[in-house]
Amino acid sequence: MDSFINPYYIDIIVFLFIYIILGLGLNLITGYAGQVSLGHAAFYGIGAYTSAILTVKFGVNTWLAIFLAIVITFILSAILGLPSLRVSEDFLAITTLGLGLIIQSIFKNAEITGGAYGLDMIPAPSLFGLEIIDLSYLGLVLVMLLLAIFIMKRMTQSRIGRAWMTIHEDETVAQSMGINTTYYKVLAFAIGGAFAGAAGALFAHKVSYISADSFGFTLSATILSMVVLGGLGKIRGTILGVSLLYLLPELFRVFDIQLFDMKYLDLYKMMLYGMIMVLVMRYRPKGIFGNTSLKKRKKNRSSAKKKELRDGEIIA
Amino acid sequence: MRSLLKIEGITKIFGGLTAVNDVSLTANQGEIIGLIGPNGAGKTTFFNILTGIYKPNAGRILFEDQLISGMKPFQIANQGFSRTFQNIRLLKEKSVLENVQVGMFRKTKAGLWASILALSSVKKEEQETIRKSLEILSLVGLDGMDEEISGSLSYGNQRRVEIARALVSEPKLLLLDEPTAGMNAEEVEEMSALIRKINANGTTVILIEHNVAMVVDLCDRLAVLDHGVKIADANPDEVIANPAVIEAYIGKDQVEEVSSFVEN
Amino acid sequence: MLAQQLLNGVALGFTYVLIAIGLTMIYGVLKLLHFAHGVIYAVGVFAAMIGILYLNMNFIVACLFAMIIAAICGVAVERFAYRPLRNVHPITTLISGVGIAIFLESLFQVVFSSDPRAFPDTGMKVSVWKISESISITNVKLTIIVVGLVALVLLYAFLRWTKMGIAIQATAQDMRAASLMGVNVNRVVAITFMIGSAFAAIAGVLVAYDINSIYPTMGSVPGLKAFCVVVLGGLGSIPGTIIGGLILGIVESLSEGYLNGMIIDKDAIAFVILIIILLVKPSGLFGRKVEKV
Repeated sequence: MDSFINPYYIDIIVFLFIYIILGLGLNLITGYAGQVSLGHAAFYGIGAYTSAILTVKFGVNTWLAIFLAIVITFILSAILGLPSLRVSEDFLAITTLGLGLIIQSIFKNAEITGGAYGLDMIPAPSLFGLEIIDLSYLGLVLVMLLLAIFIMKRMTQSRIGRAWMTIHEDETVAQSMGINTTYYKVLAFAIGGAFAGAAGALFAHKVSYISADSFGFTLSATILSMVVLGGLGKIRGTILGVSLLYLLPELFRVFDIQLFDMKYLDLYKMMLYGMIMVLVMRYRPKGIFGNTSLKKRKKNRSSAKKKELRDGEIIA
Repeated sequence: MRSLLKIEGITKIFGGLTAVNDVSLTANQGEIIGLIGPNGAGKTTFFNILTGIYKPNAGRILFEDQLISGMKPFQIANQGFSRTFQNIRLLKEKSVLENVQVGMFRKTKAGLWASILALSSVKKEEQETIRKSLEILSLVGLDGMDEEISGSLSYGNQRRVEIARALVSEPKLLLLDEPTAGMNAEEVEEMSALIRKINANGTTVILIEHNVAMVVDLCDRLAVLDHGVKIADANPDEVIANPAVIEAYIGKDQVEEVSSFVEN
Repeated sequence: MLAQQLLNGVALGFTYVLIAIGLTMIYGVLKLLHFAHGVIYAVGVFAAMIGILYLNMNFIVACLFAMIIAAICGVAVERFAYRPLRNVHPITTLISGVGIAIFLESLFQVVFSSDPRAFPDTGMKVSVWKISESISITNVKLTIIVVGLVALVLLYAFLRWTKMGIAIQATAQDMRAASLMGVNVNRVVAITFMIGSAFAAIAGVLVAYDINSIYPTMGSVPGLKAFCVVVLGGLGSIPGTIIGGLILGIVESLSEGYLNGMIIDKDAIAFVILIIILLVKPSGLFGRKVEKV
């Protein structure tokens, strides 16, 4: 069956799904818990390197390695999230960005990560003696994605989700309601990091070669802009936002559209991502997919009154 | 009467400014205490010290004979404190029900794994949270408004949502920061009735108010803060007759107004 | 050797000070982290390059030209990416700032190509001053130190003795009160962005001249390090920023001389310092201790 479908298309979908998992993790941290992270790619990298090192250097079973990669990123994200919690949200951005740079530079310089060269010959997982590649790998990634969406849904609709929502909106209120804000922030970092770790491990076993360059600030910013476009604090928003922004540039490649110099495609992509972040924040801070259902619109009918109240509050 | 809350000589200094100066106050089980005083007298600061948002520079606070000053705000809340805020602090874009559900946080236990797996205990807890929230909404007079977006409600109803959020966890002590600010006479009357109803269920209430007529009518006891110092603490009639209080805060015209109100 | 490294560190430190001053002032006035500041630094460098190559400016005129262009760009960024978002959740402004930085940096790479190029010929010769047997300094590094000192003195005089300077300080203390007292806050913000951007531009030009290399992304790392300097010195404190910048310059310079084969890059040191500071003394070396509410 593999031969019927262009493997290039399969790859695009596999990477899209991996990006969505990565985006969901970031959305949990930034969208739900309200903690800006500009170092998300580092956790993606930790997941990728952990799984790669375990399989390549220690001969650990691939499945076990992926599992351990998730556990280890969970723990490391919690630890690395700790210093970040001492600062307010704007400085959190710099701290996470700094953490990202430090971690990337460790990938680049440490011996166990293969230094500047990176790691290759990362094995694909196998099941009942069959190597999982191409279409079956798509199946694996799809299962992981569905699992990720399921977990996100359950968490965000629980009391824990309400705790994050409250912390995001007003930390003083959260504390007054008996919510241990530090614990729940660290928890958001840890789980969001674990999502990134899972995505990273899936990425490593797909591409079989990784180097530090894949886990830099560019990726963190890309994912953030995708999540922002779809709407912070919305699962569906992340899925749509990542899909839209990830597939759009790919279309130019797939259909070989020569609108502009393809040499600069990546740069045009970044320009687009950057501009999206600015314009979405200015005109649709809830994302382009936010608040479109009829039910919600009905509730917003008194928005003029709401605005009046809000203005009144600023004066008062 | 059993004392619930014992505040012993708390002081709070910001920069060189003493916002609260050596204030002591005892709240007995089941009382309604009014905290009055001119703007900037340190009333809200006092609440913020009680709830752990500020650490006092001196003094200590005992709740049910247990030392709570020095605890983190969430720990104090977990002792059975609930509060509302002077400038209504709701999650404005969320529904009324969601806001009240947040208040149930400390009464629920579901952990991460239980929530992901949606164990039957978690489902039961969620149902209980919703049932309880709706019940409280009906108590505060917001029947059938649970799906409204809280930011779109009238000012008075937003206050009610905040009170419902504070009440849903069945606090032992309820702190209300200017519950009637910005309300008309009729709404004030309704709020008074609501606070009585809450108190009748056994909740001790401390409220900050500017509406002297209302607190005189409602409270068992009044404490007056002026420039961070407690200048009076007695039953309402005694307090409004106290010359120091009149001078510091009320003004003679208003006293007459109040006494005529009380007589009626 | 040590003295030589210290001297180099001071010169490097002054470039960080010049970049970070803008960030500190902008943070002071708007409580905003200006993520596009590094791009403004690069704008200055490219403006100087264009001035020298195509407009036949001499080095000093090109520096002034760079400062003016950077100031205009800085104000434009504020107008476009920050002003519409004043008084909303800080996350919104932050993401907008990151977005505009990414956009401009990518645009620069498209326009000027990512490849580094040499600093255009200015007709000035790089010369080495020998201070003692083992200590020497290039005239470029010396220029950096002198320009840094002059800029700081001018800034001090401006903030201390001009009406606008005092208005900036008042706005930093309490924007609402300042605006009630008749300070035109938008003007204060614009002037703050102008000064900060001009300082970043001059730093950029001097660094580009010193390392003899120009490339579109050259501002991103210094821009981010400047944040570390701001945190190190205590938020919004100008003296703190000056000392913070010098400390970072010296530490980086020493690490180059003494610590080879480190597990992290030299550029990551600033962030390690940042994280240590946040853990040990989040208010920075010179920040007032404020109660977090």
